Amino acid sequence: MNIFVLIKQVPDQGAKAGINPDGTIDRARAKRMLNPFDRYALEAALFVRRLYGGTVTAISMGPPPAVEVLYEAIAHGVDQAILLSDRRLAASDTLATAYALYCTVRYAGAFDLVFCGLQTTDGDTAQVGPQLAERLQVPQITYCEKFEIAQGAIVARRVIEGGAQTVRCPLPAVVTVANSAPRLAYKTLRGARRVQQLQRDEAERSRVIRTVNLDDIGADPVRCGLKGSPTIVAATEKVGEIGGNCTLYQGKPLQQLVDDLLAAQVIAPELVKQ
Amino acid sequence: MSTKQVLIFVEQEDGCARPVAFELLGAGRMLANKLGAELAAFVACDSVGELPETLVAHGADRVYVAEHPELATYRTLPYRRVLIDLIAAMDTPPHIVLFGSTTTGRDLAPRIAAYFETGLTADCTELDIGPYEHTNAQDPSKVGLYPDCLYAIRPSFGESLKARILGPWKNPQMATVRSGVMVPLAPDATRTGVVQSVPVHLESADLQLVVAETLRSLGEQVELQGAEVIVSGGYGLGNPEGFALMYQLAACFENSAVGSSRKAVDAGWIAHAHQVGQTGKTVRPKLYIACGISGAIQHRVGMDKSATIVAINKDSNAPIFKFAHHGIVGDLHQVIPELIRQLKLQKTSTPDTSHVATHSL
Repeated sequence: MNIFVLIKQVPDQGAKAGINPDGTIDRARAKRMLNPFDRYALEAALFVRRLYGGTVTAISMGPPPAVEVLYEAIAHGVDQAILLSDRRLAASDTLATAYALYCTVRYAGAFDLVFCGLQTTDGDTAQVGPQLAERLQVPQITYCEKFEIAQGAIVARRVIEGGAQTVRCPLPAVVTVANSAPRLAYKTLRGARRVQQLQRDEAERSRVIRTVNLDDIGADPVRCGLKGSPTIVAATEKVGEIGGNCTLYQGKPLQQLVDDLLAAQVIAPELVKQ
Repeated sequence: MSTKQVLIFVEQEDGCARPVAFELLGAGRMLANKLGAELAAFVACDSVGELPETLVAHGADRVYVAEHPELATYRTLPYRRVLIDLIAAMDTPPHIVLFGSTTTGRDLAPRIAAYFETGLTADCTELDIGPYEHTNAQDPSKVGLYPDCLYAIRPSFGESLKARILGPWKNPQMATVRSGVMVPLAPDATRTGVVQSVPVHLESADLQLVVAETLRSLGEQVELQGAEVIVSGGYGLGNPEGFALMYQLAACFENSAVGSSRKAVDAGWIAHAHQVGQTGKTVRPKLYIACGISGAIQHRVGMDKSATIVAINKDSNAPIFKFAHHGIVGDLHQVIPELIRQLKLQKTSTPDTSHVATHSL
């Protein structure tokens, strides 16, 4: 099995540092982390290798510090990694991102499965997986939460509104993994040692983690970055602090508080079960 | 077809449109009116029945129908094929194409956008039409004035910002729209429209994926979106048993449901299907009772359109009191049993307006 998993470094929105007063993210100062949704994709990729053998390659696109998430993936047991890093990718929307990742996958070689997180916590679009599948001209299984592989096909359970669906699809395919799928296990001791080794041994590091640019992967720069993006963020507006009109009930005996609330006819009588 | 068009994708099951389709028709009608455009709906199915008439009554001027046995259940590739064929066959592509931000819409829309190399804005909460002048000389080919640009507005950065995303350089301009946000039109049976059958040519490659089984309502059914009253619990409940209290309170109301914040779901206290907010459901009940929910922005965007919001929280500085209409500052484990007791009293006593008047003084 030749398994690819796409992962992304995102700003840690839980950390206060790196958040501008207007609520935007100062990406230079923000604490960074592996996109939480990608942890499920990593687990799925490693699960396939555990059961069916093969090689797992983690692929990421981002500025040089994004290599941190590739180290993290290696610590979890990924075999090798590719970082696509190029200034010409700045301001890529999902279409341009999917194109650049498509070129990276093509560069990385033949595959049986490409796993992606359902979405990222910074973009929240859930678009790159299906857009990549479209470029690769392969079927996709989105919202996958459980699967097995048999006779060259993947049989998967995917989440749908109010339920689930079981589908069967021949390989190769792109799979986006839901966050109801199994959680990523702990880093392995072997993985941690591997990372230590890579940090010491530069030759080995550049063999295991390849850093490539648009020219290396044969991508057309016009289809990347700002130029290749059909959408732009034209304006942002802080979600206003509304309210200040809340009627607070406090500082009285409990019974009186509830009594006051109900007396204010906050709860329409017709809503109450008779 | 040279008329300007707004096209919406209709999700259907067994010949019935899913609720988001009517919401898209409502949003699409508004956009079409502003553009002086036709509102078209696209349905793929095995047998369309009376669905086109229903869609016309809810605002469509034209309904494109692709009927084929292989289109009975939604699958990415066959649906992709018929929708791409439809758009590609038009003299001018639709000005705008809208999908629901559902597991189906988010599966299909990106593939269509990638095929046509056009922009797609995800999970919009507002849509509008307006002019846009692009002056950014970094990309001279895009500079110009665009009079009829789709304003696709969506929350970003953990919902602390609203971003307006534009892509007027190429049609169709596409968006997925968060379900539960747009308001459907009241049906008007006197409306008339054109029903147009579209050809279906599927290739064997489109049929590689097969659906073995579809199960709805696995486990407990959570009807948050149709509920008039939602009793929602957060991390302040303290433990999973706290949700028993939520169910007791919900039981006091007709047509109620139990919701939750993300933290309670992440803690494993309740299933994700109950989650209200950014990564859960968007709701707009008549009454929303938030218990032990601090009111993070991610939760707020899912429920702040509720007609009346009542918050119960120990911390009088909790952000939820900034946007709730009424708030009780107190321990929910004491407040809620008292609230239940008084609601039960209310129902046993006949409505007594003098009682209300006395206490509101």
